[in-house]
Amino acid sequence: MTMGWKAKPFYYLLFALITVIVLIPMALVVFAAFKPTAELSASSPLALPKSLYFGNLEAAFVKGNILTGFRNTAVLIAVSVGANMVLGTMTAYILNRFDFRFRKLIFAMFTVAMIVPYYTTEVARFQIIKGLGLYDTLMAPILIYAGTDLLQIFIFLQFMEKISVQLDESAMMDGASYFRIFRSITFPLMLPAAATLAIIKVVEIMNDMYIPFLYMPDKDLHTLSTALMTFVGERATFWNELSAAILIVMLPAVLIYLFFQRYVFAGLMDGAVKG
Amino acid sequence: MSYSMQKKVIIVSFLALPIALLLLFLLYPTAKLLQLSFTDWNGISRTFEYVGLDNYADAFRMPELWKSLYNNWLYFLIHALFIPLEIMVAVFLNAKLRANPFFRSIVFLPYVINGVAVAYVFSYLYNPINGPINLFLQSIGLESWIQRWLSDPGVVNYSLIAVSLWRFCGLHVILFLAGLQAIPQDLYEASKIDGAGPMRQLWYITIPGMSLVIEIVLFLNVRGALQVFDIPFLITQGGPGNASSTFTLFTVDTAFKFNNYGLASTMAILLMIMIIVFSYIQKKLFQATGGGRS
Repeated sequence: MTMGWKAKPFYYLLFALITVIVLIPMALVVFAAFKPTAELSASSPLALPKSLYFGNLEAAFVKGNILTGFRNTAVLIAVSVGANMVLGTMTAYILNRFDFRFRKLIFAMFTVAMIVPYYTTEVARFQIIKGLGLYDTLMAPILIYAGTDLLQIFIFLQFMEKISVQLDESAMMDGASYFRIFRSITFPLMLPAAATLAIIKVVEIMNDMYIPFLYMPDKDLHTLSTALMTFVGERATFWNELSAAILIVMLPAVLIYLFFQRYVFAGLMDGAVKG
Repeated sequence: MSYSMQKKVIIVSFLALPIALLLLFLLYPTAKLLQLSFTDWNGISRTFEYVGLDNYADAFRMPELWKSLYNNWLYFLIHALFIPLEIMVAVFLNAKLRANPFFRSIVFLPYVINGVAVAYVFSYLYNPINGPINLFLQSIGLESWIQRWLSDPGVVNYSLIAVSLWRFCGLHVILFLAGLQAIPQDLYEASKIDGAGPMRQLWYITIPGMSLVIEIVLFLNVRGALQVFDIPFLITQGGPGNASSTFTLFTVDTAFKFNNYGLASTMAILLMIMIIVFSYIQKKLFQATGGGRS
């Protein structure tokens, strides 16, 4: 669509405003993160730091337990996103390639799961996690994150439609088992779809707060989110140190997004149009 | 192994784990909530009594619950009012302009940032002592606009809703953009030949062509607004008093703070019913007003 000459100034004004609204809150936190305490209280929060002071970043790393947060978040992401992709593609493979008695029931169960509320379900899930002995272990969030959902299944199914059944059939002529077909043909061909969904899942897990907060109170099991929450609880009024911690926690998701945004948008667009 | 035997084996073995996780962590807890909603369980003791519909009757009589639900309504309403603006931004982003990839990245950026970090960024901005927002207002001579953003019961919800808008509008814009890009371009060209201007194109091609995405965003808005949790939980804990509490925050507190798991389960079930009912009503309204014209 092209734009008339009358719309152009309005377009630039609108997007300049949006850019300011998005970036200013983060910029102010970056300013505060590089000011020593005396300068923070003496200068305007809108003023640039006089020089780059790294003491706050150091304090955030030393007192804020943020390295532990990085490690645990990385473990959670590596294990649960990997498992989630394998389980999702397996489910889509079965639902697309085979006809069997409980196929409809399985779709129905995933549909019901879509409307289960996020946080309030923990009231009952908490007891299950405790009963299984998973409380205060990394396995609790891993198992919760690893499960696949209807949206993922739909996107994988849409992708499977494009993978010709003839590929499967010719492999069967050569005597390949179904498992072999999945592992050597279907799964590799699904990787582009999996990459998109994986990046979205990575951002989701990295930014989740309540599941690690509820199930992993142990300080050694803190994630980026819960380490930041604890640090804020302990250093409530030291806004320069807190800003440094906020900056460190914000950065990984922003970097992943900037590098991989092509895939993020591709995945969201697929999901939205077919949803 | 024959292929018919193999088929059985692979169906069972491939579905076992995904279905087990689904049952164990989503469907069984939901069934459990339904059961507990009829009991007086406190979360600790081994036994509980069935109390019939007492929890449901109690829930309806709690003023805190209605107050929280009213706050959810505010989130829903204000987010809904922003939808036309979001569609407009998406229409602009869909134009072929050189700066658009950059603006698209900017618009979606807030959604990607860690929610805990976002909450504390705004705690800092709203800070009553030397907070950047109040200092900024003072520096441009708007002292009268200065507020106690997080401690004035009449203001706090709007402060928190602003955070929610900052965080989620970008997602809606990108979803609308996806809907726009799915509309075939030749429709616009054909209508141009027939003499239709941009406004008529917007009304007769763009909006009907996006009806599916608009429905998705409306559903996300109902579901999201009814489940607002992390923003008030992190910034105000529902305070001052319960001025900024939400239904989910109140439910979670009822269970984990006040150990009333029976009542909390009842509220969780009510929340699920509300999500289903309101989504359904909204869908019907949307279709009745011609949103499903295409």
